[in-house]
Amino acid sequence: MKNIDLIKLPFSKENPILVQVLGVCSCLAVTAQLKPAVVMSLSVIVVVTLANLIVSLLRNTIPPRIRIIVQLVVVSTLVVLVDQVLKAYVYDVSKQLSVFVGLIITNCIVMGRLEAFAMVQKPWPSVLDGLGNGLGYSVILIALGFVRELFGSGTLWGYPVMEKLGLYEIGYENNGLMIMPPMALILVGLIIWWHRSRNKDLCE
Amino acid sequence: MKTFSNRYIFTYSAVLVVVAALILTVVAVSLKPQQTQNQEAEKKQMILKTIGVEATRENAAELYAKHITEADGYYTFDGGIVLPMSGTGLWGPIWGYLALDGSSTVVGAVFDHKGETPGLGGEIATDKFAQRFIGKKMDVEPIHLAKNADHSNPHEVDAISGGTMTSNGVTAMLEKAYNDYSKLTSCSSSTSLTSSTTDSREEATE
Repeated sequence: MKNIDLIKLPFSKENPILVQVLGVCSCLAVTAQLKPAVVMSLSVIVVVTLANLIVSLLRNTIPPRIRIIVQLVVVSTLVVLVDQVLKAYVYDVSKQLSVFVGLIITNCIVMGRLEAFAMVQKPWPSVLDGLGNGLGYSVILIALGFVRELFGSGTLWGYPVMEKLGLYEIGYENNGLMIMPPMALILVGLIIWWHRSRNKDLCE
Repeated sequence: MKTFSNRYIFTYSAVLVVVAALILTVVAVSLKPQQTQNQEAEKKQMILKTIGVEATRENAAELYAKHITEADGYYTFDGGIVLPMSGTGLWGPIWGYLALDGSSTVVGAVFDHKGETPGLGGEIATDKFAQRFIGKKMDVEPIHLAKNADHSNPHEVDAISGGTMTSNGVTAMLEKAYNDYSKLTSCSSSTSLTSSTTDSREEATE
């Protein structure tokens, strides 16, 4: 596999959410609004890239029998570190993030990529793989956040779009279902449907 | 697949955990003063905000000293008092401050939370939510949150859609603050009032 593919494939044919079905849990939880979705995306990109790098560097020393524990230690150490640094230097951002930082530890993408890729690959490809998967995850998260905030709350990044367009005056109402977690699942389902119909080779 | 001896596995995991713990300890201890300072400044900012003074993290301490006097369990400012509130939301602690003027009317409110769901319960931390409290009264009964609230009712505020558990937490927190407040204003607080305060405290600790 060429290095460029490591970045490119996760956007479509190897997308962590659409194809690998990893990270769906957090994708339901944080996409009610655009801003948390973006913040979560950035944090996952950072953590998955660094974790991939560290585990890849350690990969020949890690005993296979305890590899999951080792990966967990690496991931949680990174996440707590990031959290502490944010709290000290960018307190406002950390308040936005705090709940998501904890969620990153349990994000299946991180563990999934460590187990499937970084354990058996050299450091540089691992970094690219982490970056690619982080970005692939972000694309879906941001798309969901955009749709759910726009139609669920009538705002984008907190800006009252629907109100400015004057839609409420002509009888438009926000769709309350949009801000509920099940709607994220339905939207992901629709995206997967569209995605499979364009990539027939993915269908089983 | 390479095999490793048990001795290697034990040593490896011990070393790994010790290294991770060391890194985290060093970072946590060295960043602690900075973090405490941020939290203190934030608390002062919140209190100032309820009385309509916008402070930045830098000048919060200075403005706080100028406008606010600390009393036993509450704060006073020129024209009224600021009640601290604390309670539990869906996922963790929620807290806030309520500024009341002489006639128990809310002049400002601010809420915050540790980890409520962003976009749902987390909305209590927004200005939009806090502003719904302005002009409401904490006199004969506490303010409560309700679905499709009656805006002319001085004790009712719109709850958050999709954030029912957090909204219930806010209502409980307001009730607790109201009980504390009644004790402050009337010296002759009835025994039933005192016991109900203790009850809600216990619930909160659970």
